Amino acid sequence: MSLEQGLTRPRFRLPATLRNPMAVVGASIILLWILVAAVISHIWPVDPLAQNFDRLLPPGAAHWFGTDQLGRDVLSRTLAGSQTSLPLSLLLVVCAMILGGSLGAIAGYFGKAIDETIMRIADLVFAFPTIILAMVIAAALGPSLTNAVIAMLIVSWPSYARVMRSLVIGARGSEYVIAGRLMGSGAFTSLWRDILPNVLAPLLVLATLDVGTAILLLSGLSFLGLGAVPPTPDWGAMVSDGVQQFSSWWIAVFPGLAILSVVLAFNFLGDAWRDSLDPRTADAVQGRAI
Amino acid sequence: MTIKRRGAAIMSAVAALSMLAVSGCSSGSSSNTNTGSSSSVVVDSSFDLKTADPAREFETTGAIVAHALYESLLTFNGDDVTKPVDGLASYKISDDAKVVTLTMKAGHTFSDGTPVTVDDAVFSLERVQGIKGNPSFLLDGVKVAKVDDHTLTLTSAHANPALPFILPNGALGIVNSKVVKANGGTTDANDKAEAFLNKTSAGSGPYQLESYDVASQVVFTANTKYTGSEKPGHGRVVLRNVAGPTQKLNIQAGDSQVALDLNPDQAKEVQGGDLKTISGASPYMIFLLMNQNQAVNKFTSNQDFMTAVRRGIDYGKIVSLAGTGAVQPGGVIPSLFVGALKSDPSNSFDATAAKASLAKSGYSGEEIPLNFPNDITVQGLELQSIAASVQAQLKTIGINVKLAPQPVATELDAYRGGKESIGLWYWGPDYPDPADYLVFTPGQLVGLRAGWAANASPSITALANKAQAATGNDARQAAYEDLQRAMNKTGPFIPLLQPAKNVVTAGTISSVSLNPVWTIDLAGIK
Repeated sequence: MSLEQGLTRPRFRLPATLRNPMAVVGASIILLWILVAAVISHIWPVDPLAQNFDRLLPPGAAHWFGTDQLGRDVLSRTLAGSQTSLPLSLLLVVCAMILGGSLGAIAGYFGKAIDETIMRIADLVFAFPTIILAMVIAAALGPSLTNAVIAMLIVSWPSYARVMRSLVIGARGSEYVIAGRLMGSGAFTSLWRDILPNVLAPLLVLATLDVGTAILLLSGLSFLGLGAVPPTPDWGAMVSDGVQQFSSWWIAVFPGLAILSVVLAFNFLGDAWRDSLDPRTADAVQGRAI
Repeated sequence: MTIKRRGAAIMSAVAALSMLAVSGCSSGSSSNTNTGSSSSVVVDSSFDLKTADPAREFETTGAIVAHALYESLLTFNGDDVTKPVDGLASYKISDDAKVVTLTMKAGHTFSDGTPVTVDDAVFSLERVQGIKGNPSFLLDGVKVAKVDDHTLTLTSAHANPALPFILPNGALGIVNSKVVKANGGTTDANDKAEAFLNKTSAGSGPYQLESYDVASQVVFTANTKYTGSEKPGHGRVVLRNVAGPTQKLNIQAGDSQVALDLNPDQAKEVQGGDLKTISGASPYMIFLLMNQNQAVNKFTSNQDFMTAVRRGIDYGKIVSLAGTGAVQPGGVIPSLFVGALKSDPSNSFDATAAKASLAKSGYSGEEIPLNFPNDITVQGLELQSIAASVQAQLKTIGINVKLAPQPVATELDAYRGGKESIGLWYWGPDYPDPADYLVFTPGQLVGLRAGWAANASPSITALANKAQAATGNDARQAAYEDLQRAMNKTGPFIPLLQPAKNVVTAGTISSVSLNPVWTIDLAGIK
């Protein structure tokens, strides 16, 4: 492509984030799964709950992913599993980001006793291993997807709060914030209009990277029988079923691969996004000196 | 087995899993499989072991150990638990079934060479009662008395025709009273002999304790003073704690000769080659309960609704989930015991009849919760699979069941408190006698868990009392059959299946002797 062409014709330019091949792979996989969750799993001809087939059939022409211990089609269950895992993980991350971000912003902006109170509560949650605390909460509330999400929300907001607090502390002394205060804006207006747009990007990156963790955590709770209630198809619960059927590998492997693909995809995307926002890490990752 | 001990079984399953690594490391242990008295055999089992003291054990693994080390006054022949036979003694039961007279047989000796006497028998039974441990209830209300140097009597206040079926239990094994007394043994709660009996056996059984590790393995050596008719097939037996999936790998690799805990699918996978699988019905009975308490659920207490559920379940399909060897019991009493019902048309699948009953019940699609513990397996079969299957079947006749699983520790409270609308549980026998199943009648332990109050069904209560009082095998059989037929018509329990017990043996083993009470007779491994 000549320089002339480039100058004369306005071109479509990919967002900086997506110029990384890994990001393209990640985004494609995520799009594919969103398509599966929103459309394909609904129109798929085999009912994921029907127990009409022979038990424990290995993958073959009739059942590409085989059948499970109750004679259900593993392929249709894996597809249907995306309807629980994806929306709930996204919902969780958004809720955790809003809750943790708000508390972190308040803590960072106001400081003093408010900061101490909020951050010590966050430390309290950090003091426990995530999955153990989530298990305890989910077990106390009873197994259901709603309760699993509540349990995970309780354990995942503090990381957002910490990041947000440090960003807000950095930004609140900036000239533009002080200028805004001098012009008469209140604390929350200042946070909302002056600070938030300048600190949101790192938080979004953290959230993207966290979607993978959220899917794993949700699958973990379902694996332990504390998440999805049977017979709802859920990847974690399916892996758990597969573990009971040690040598019918297909029951656990396919939902396991589904989890792997989504988690990897979100990590690719998150990494790329982080790199595009902070070129220094991109250089470091690619082995160039800073 | 009452539910109290089941929690322990789960804990020990967890322990068994954590022992995986250990057993994996020790799997190189020598396992010479030549037959003869010097040979040894390795048996893999997933442990729920707590003690080797017979008066304190009431676990599955404990029963295997106790049966190998101690002889009991009466015993069973092979796997036939419908007829107690002579062990250390012969027995006679009075016509009113209140007095069992036991006459000691001469010629039995303990591993130290001293003869087994009537004093040893009296001491052993009184010790079980006095310690007030898990098996003490077996002899509740029974008075043990020495009559002369060869005879003792067991006297119950009420008719107790189940007693001869209770006596073969390993917990009632006869210990060497002199040795046990010398090591702190008493017949009250101050007994201190457990630590001794965990190191050294003091019995007249075919084996002696060589080493005992409650978490990993128990090693037995043949008792050279054993005078029983059937000599042990191997001089040394190693009973190892190994989880199910690893048992499968071990037996395939030739690392063990007997695997006790393969689930039906695992057992199916090892077929072919020279491994042999013995499948039979286990004595565990998995059932549904429908709460009779109106306040808990107005539908499950409705007779037409209950009939609809009973006829709407495809029993054949559920039994097939459990693989070869599983059966559908005719009533609450498992197929292996006296009093078992072969089959009953009340508990059979008929979608048309089910729909007709459902139409009469006034039910119109309301959600009915089905509660069950989701972390329990019975002989390798997950209750969750059965629940999901029942749900799908009832959906086709129009009943909207919602699965409500909980960890067993949480769900037990709801079960014991009689708060479940429909519950899915299982019952393991305390002893192989139909009297153990009277707890399913109105106002009794399990009956109350289904909201079945004492005055709920006078006709069934009358049949239960009649069955309890019946003496003689034929009369008892008939009375318990009548009781179960009546319960299948109007009662809250739907017996679904007895899962299979699968034992896989290596080609070098020609025969094993299984039994619902002590699982496997280690001396019978030939």
